[in-house]
Amino acid sequence: MYALVKLIQSVVSSLNSQGTPRQVAAGIALGSGLGLTPLMNLHNLVILAAGMLLNVSFPAFLLGWALFVPLGFALDPLFHRIGRGLLVDTPALGPMWTAWFNTPIVPFTNFNNTVVLGSVIAWVVAFVPLYVLLRWLVAQYRTRLYVRLQQMRIFQVIAASKVYNCYRLFRP
Amino acid sequence: MKLFRWKAIGTLAGVVLLLTLFSWLFLDTLVRRGIEQAGTLVVGAKVELADAHVRLGAGQLVMRGLQVTNPSHPMQNLVEAAELIAMVRPLPLLEKKLVIDSLAARKVRFDTPRKTSGALNRSSGVSSAIAQQVKEWAGQVRIPSFSLEGLGRAIELPRLSLDSLGTTQQARAVVQFSDSARRTWEAGARALDPRPTIDSANALVARLRALDTRALSLDSTRRVVLATKSTLDALKRTTDQVRTLERGVDSGVARIRAGVAGLDDARRDDYAYARGLIKLPSLDAPDISPALFGKTALDQLQAILYWVRLAEHYMPPGLLAQMHEGPKRARMAGTTVVFPRARAWPQFLLRFAGLDLTIGGAGATAGDYVARLAGLTTEPALYGQPFRFLAGRSAGRAGPQNVRVAGQLDHVQAPSRDSVEASIAGLALPTIELPPVQARAALGAGLTEISLLRRGDEIRARWRIRSTDVTWQRLADSGAARARAPREIEDLVWRTVSGVREVEVEAEIRGALARPSLSVRSNVGTELARGLRKAIGAKVEQAEQRVRAQVDSLVQGELTAARRRLTAVQAEVQAPLTKQQAELAGVRTQLEAQVRRLTTKIPLPR
Repeated sequence: MYALVKLIQSVVSSLNSQGTPRQVAAGIALGSGLGLTPLMNLHNLVILAAGMLLNVSFPAFLLGWALFVPLGFALDPLFHRIGRGLLVDTPALGPMWTAWFNTPIVPFTNFNNTVVLGSVIAWVVAFVPLYVLLRWLVAQYRTRLYVRLQQMRIFQVIAASKVYNCYRLFRP
Repeated sequence: MKLFRWKAIGTLAGVVLLLTLFSWLFLDTLVRRGIEQAGTLVVGAKVELADAHVRLGAGQLVMRGLQVTNPSHPMQNLVEAAELIAMVRPLPLLEKKLVIDSLAARKVRFDTPRKTSGALNRSSGVSSAIAQQVKEWAGQVRIPSFSLEGLGRAIELPRLSLDSLGTTQQARAVVQFSDSARRTWEAGARALDPRPTIDSANALVARLRALDTRALSLDSTRRVVLATKSTLDALKRTTDQVRTLERGVDSGVARIRAGVAGLDDARRDDYAYARGLIKLPSLDAPDISPALFGKTALDQLQAILYWVRLAEHYMPPGLLAQMHEGPKRARMAGTTVVFPRARAWPQFLLRFAGLDLTIGGAGATAGDYVARLAGLTTEPALYGQPFRFLAGRSAGRAGPQNVRVAGQLDHVQAPSRDSVEASIAGLALPTIELPPVQARAALGAGLTEISLLRRGDEIRARWRIRSTDVTWQRLADSGAARARAPREIEDLVWRTVSGVREVEVEAEIRGALARPSLSVRSNVGTELARGLRKAIGAKVEQAEQRVRAQVDSLVQGELTAARRRLTAVQAEVQAPLTKQQAELAGVRTQLEAQVRRLTTKIPLPR
């Protein structure tokens, strides 16, 4: 068990060599894909690979996943409507779906499910605006909020605790 | 800053390897759960599998301990199989399609009891919706009541209110529509008034007849012809307007006529309604049989209807996209859409399945059986062959002498054509309680026949049982029934039904698949009708005559009013219009003849 924990620690520390606002924002935006879309699907393997291979903050990637899971649950009815609109209510796309879902491996993406397709499309569309917004928020936090927080007693208590280890990943 | 973290490739490879290893280790469990989930979704009740083992190299799937719950009876399995071995084609698996070349089964049993209920906790999905629709249909089927209580007291005619009778409602609707339509038509006819046009045209015809064409110059002739043509155009316009009005009148009169014709049916319904109020039993066999066996028959036919509609959903004809409920998960399931493509594999195909089984012992089911099925698929249009099945008993030790089930579901192209025939002789039939006659019939062993014919939206399904070994048991008198039905009538009913040694019940649903009509026939009903008619026929007939007379006297005024409206509209609106139309046509023909006479020698611009 100890060996496993050490392995995870070393993986995280090796992936988190840099933590600029861009990297943190890109990590959260990428990780949000895992949270917004149903997990057990092939496209999430691709997102995971991107999170690991691209030079983004991996802890931020994990944080993005965790943060966006509840949002994904809440937005499922909207995703269903988007997916239904594309799969069922747009006959012009029918030939494309027919060719796609009769091609080897592609059906394992489960993009013929309204919630999966709707959530992936929503995430792809929201990716760039989300990245820009997060980058601005992280930069604002580091220049303004962090200085004030440092002087608060509760912050100093937390800083001494284990929770701080996680928080430290977003420190300037 | 570098874009890629190349050193993470090793870690990623490790993660992928772990996932692959996990999938391989738990493949059997994943397949077992997948089969259970898909089966449960399709059947609408629990499908359980004790174990599944995938041999990828051999393309083989071995399933053990399969239990398929009967959705109509959750404490029973429709079918139970100890072992099933499927030979699976590997390449279609890459497209997430399951193509089974052959399936062999061992130790298959039907209608076995379950230890726990196989009903689903959460009713959703297509099967539940279909079950609900079939249940709603069954709830709306009117099973007539059979009550003897009215014979136990002096027959008093019911107090009928005029408004409670359907004839009154319908006759009033006819009168109202006639009056309203007549006002509209008369206003239209007044506005149109073709009389001046007809008179003017007649006068022109007279003038033209008197004209000497040889005395006219070319220019004068041309002017006369053009003026005549102008009148002809006006005549044509008027004719068209009258024809439009006439069509509206004809359609309205047809509606009034249909309404008047339907009054007789409404009156018959009112007779039945009023008769029902005095609680006298019907002495017609077609009424008694549904009252006795309607519920039992409905239960049997509901199951047939459920499976036909389920097959329609999961085996639709054509290549249209199919929509199914998405997989069960913590997140919303959504809808999974299947897009069939011509000349590709279907999502699911079982090319051939065969099972030979032996049921031991000396029971009624003991013997050797054989079953074959071919072409079971979710996209029959892609497979191009109908789904065929055949099951029968090859040798019996005891019990049924003849078991044969055969069918074909042809959904290759619309309209769907299904035909199923099942005949089981010698198997135990159910015990049927008949509370209206306070009797229970233990039918013993006998013949069960089921047949189904379906083409498109039309269905005809028949369920028939026949027993020559019936034992009757008299049910304890219910307090309410005993209080009102005379003892001698109850005794007569009991003597009649208990004297029937051969019972035959035949039920049929026929008509639109969504809402077929039910009919039930039985020799028990016929015998009972004959016995009752002999004993109390005169009394019932007399009461029925009085009821009919009462209904007639109440609705006579309304009936007469409705019929008068029809006659009046026909004579005073429809006939004059027809006459005017004939006059217009006549004068138009005469004018055209005059134009031809004038233009025989003169070339005119067209």
